[in-house]
Amino acid sequence: MANLKISAAPHIHSGASSNRIMLDVIIALLPATAAAVVIFGMKSLSVLLSCVLTAVIGEALFNIVCKKKQTVGDFSAVVTGLLLALNLSTNVPVWQCVVGTLFAIICVKCIFGGLGRNFANPAITGRVFMLVAFSAVAGGANPTIVDVATSATPLEQLGKGETVELMDLFLGLHGGAIGETCILALVIGFVYLLVRKVITWHTPVVFISTVFVLYMVFTGDVHMALSQILAGGLFIGAIFMATDYVTTPITTRGRVVFALGCGVITFIIRYFCAYPEGVSFSILIMNILTPFIEKLTAKEPLGGVK
Amino acid sequence: MRPKKNISTLKLHHHKHTAASQSVRIAPPKEVLLPMTMHAGAPAEPIVAVGDYVRVGQKIAERGEKGFSSPVHATVSGTVTAIEPYTQADGRSVQIIRIESDGKMEKDPAIKPPVANDVEEFLEVVAESGIVGLGGAAFPLWGKLAAVRRNQIDTVLINGAECEPYITSDHRMMVEHSDLIVKGVEILRKWMKSKRFVIGIEDNKPDAIVKLREAFAGDTSVEVLPLPSIYPQGAKQVLLYNVTGQVVKGGQRLASLGVIIINVSSLAKLAQYMEDGMPLIDRIVTVDGSAVKEAKNLVAPIGTPIEHLFEQAGGLNCEPGKVLIGGPMLGIAVKSMSEPTQKATNAILAMTEKEAKTFEPTACIRCGRCVANCPVSLNPAALARAAELEDEDQRFIRLQEYSIGQCIECACCSYVCPAHKPLMAQNLQAKRFVKKYKAEHTTEGRN
Repeated sequence: MANLKISAAPHIHSGASSNRIMLDVIIALLPATAAAVVIFGMKSLSVLLSCVLTAVIGEALFNIVCKKKQTVGDFSAVVTGLLLALNLSTNVPVWQCVVGTLFAIICVKCIFGGLGRNFANPAITGRVFMLVAFSAVAGGANPTIVDVATSATPLEQLGKGETVELMDLFLGLHGGAIGETCILALVIGFVYLLVRKVITWHTPVVFISTVFVLYMVFTGDVHMALSQILAGGLFIGAIFMATDYVTTPITTRGRVVFALGCGVITFIIRYFCAYPEGVSFSILIMNILTPFIEKLTAKEPLGGVK
Repeated sequence: MRPKKNISTLKLHHHKHTAASQSVRIAPPKEVLLPMTMHAGAPAEPIVAVGDYVRVGQKIAERGEKGFSSPVHATVSGTVTAIEPYTQADGRSVQIIRIESDGKMEKDPAIKPPVANDVEEFLEVVAESGIVGLGGAAFPLWGKLAAVRRNQIDTVLINGAECEPYITSDHRMMVEHSDLIVKGVEILRKWMKSKRFVIGIEDNKPDAIVKLREAFAGDTSVEVLPLPSIYPQGAKQVLLYNVTGQVVKGGQRLASLGVIIINVSSLAKLAQYMEDGMPLIDRIVTVDGSAVKEAKNLVAPIGTPIEHLFEQAGGLNCEPGKVLIGGPMLGIAVKSMSEPTQKATNAILAMTEKEAKTFEPTACIRCGRCVANCPVSLNPAALARAAELEDEDQRFIRLQEYSIGQCIECACCSYVCPAHKPLMAQNLQAKRFVKKYKAEHTTEGRN
């Protein structure tokens, strides 16, 4: 009886762990990753591999150089690398993937203190950085499995007043970032995250519905509104990036406000601005507003006195 | 008004293995250790000397002078062998009285049913009973009832929720001694002039609900209310809200709402005491945990070393990794098997090495599980960040801003945290810091 363990209560635990959560996000991204490889061919593999490897090695090296505890085992670097890769097209050369990922992992995450301390989503910020730095990021590469007449992404087509096939949008048989096109795969990932209770439905549903409703109000065209939500990075952004714990409000109420804001900004950029896509910017802007949203939506504690 | 939506947080595995285990009185242990601090409030003061022979039920320590206190009675017959300082499992250094049992369990002949002619006399006899809140808080019962001096207590909530896993001590009390609970209600009706009684029981104890409904059949002032089996259903603030829709505001007393909450076992013990005059000397203790051979409910003299209780439950089937006094959510891990049970000890649990595994805390990822599962809507993640601030003034301001005082110490936050952060332990520490800070700054103000 010499070795009875002493520890603070509670003495049981839900079993949830940060590693498992990150692993679940990776698993949820696998259908989209597989779809990327199927739709865009082997070239997408080089994007995926270069981003993921750079993220992991970058974080590991940062920790070694700064003599910090090694954190790559928590899988969060893998998530960042994978998400960034899925938001790029096969037009992006490997060296750009490496530079962009290093920016995301080192400048956005590690120097702010690592997991949990960054104020903006590393993958999104990395993508926006690349968008500004490298022109190749903005356009979408063509799928390799189908013949596509135009090299324009659906959002560009919609901007020009052309119509797009909804089923093609749903299956992802069009140009764009490798992971954003196949809505079916993204929704499978969403369902998995819901089942595993990693996220709640609020953010993705509110974000996507807001964009849909605003398009309905402004255009009155169901086909247009549906095309707008299925095209571009809305689903991947709403399901996987606007739900990032670290950079979004901690309360459900706050998350709803966050998602609403994302939806409105996405709509404004897409509808009123020259720029065809607004998801990344909207999430980044709302990331910055997160502390304020959190403060404004804080619940009154039960029995609290002001 | 009962709320439309209950506070509901954790669904824990109940592990109520001993729910059907009839409580069994154990053979007296060789020795009992009786701390002078088995209740919240001022420590009791010994009135016996080393070498004295004491009998069961004899008062061996009287109420401390300051504030609410509670006397201590001999729980076995035998000789006082020591009155000495003792370091408890929770780290507190307290005074204890050791009694070596002669095995006879000889009753103190002076014990007779108490007589009370008015409320003050009633409170006095309750104070002398040594009964405290048996659900865990250990607040002297008379102190709770003394609210009647200032407030009309319309409603008595009788807490039979027993929401912590494993523990079935209150459950067995309700099933085996429903008669005492009926008598207890009568006593409170007589002295507190209360009009409404609600017995809140989690719905994982259907037999207790049936039993008490039968016992109170025809009495419209008593409601036996099944509650969802959700942790922490039995916490004061949660029970109050779920049953009455009321909330105790910070700094307010529950009694000012015209309500008191009494643990169901405390009430049964009160009824027993008013009947035969035997003060609080024993109680039902659930002995369970994967390392225990035969999980059981045992009626044990207070102060029994837990080792003796485990022996009475068939011993252990492996070297335990961790031994708890209390439940798995709020219990205290002990260093030694000679640690005694106390008045509020409702369970002792022996966990296996595997179950006792602890994890290194990692960085908060702001997942919000602690926020979503806090029954009183605090933001434990923000509190933890505030508690880590170096600057004391800043820390104090932040902790107050996030309402540290409203934390009900239920441990839900720590339970769900995927980063394994000791959020509740941190809150307890933060509360102590706030108290100290306030004390220091008010004296400065006066000077």
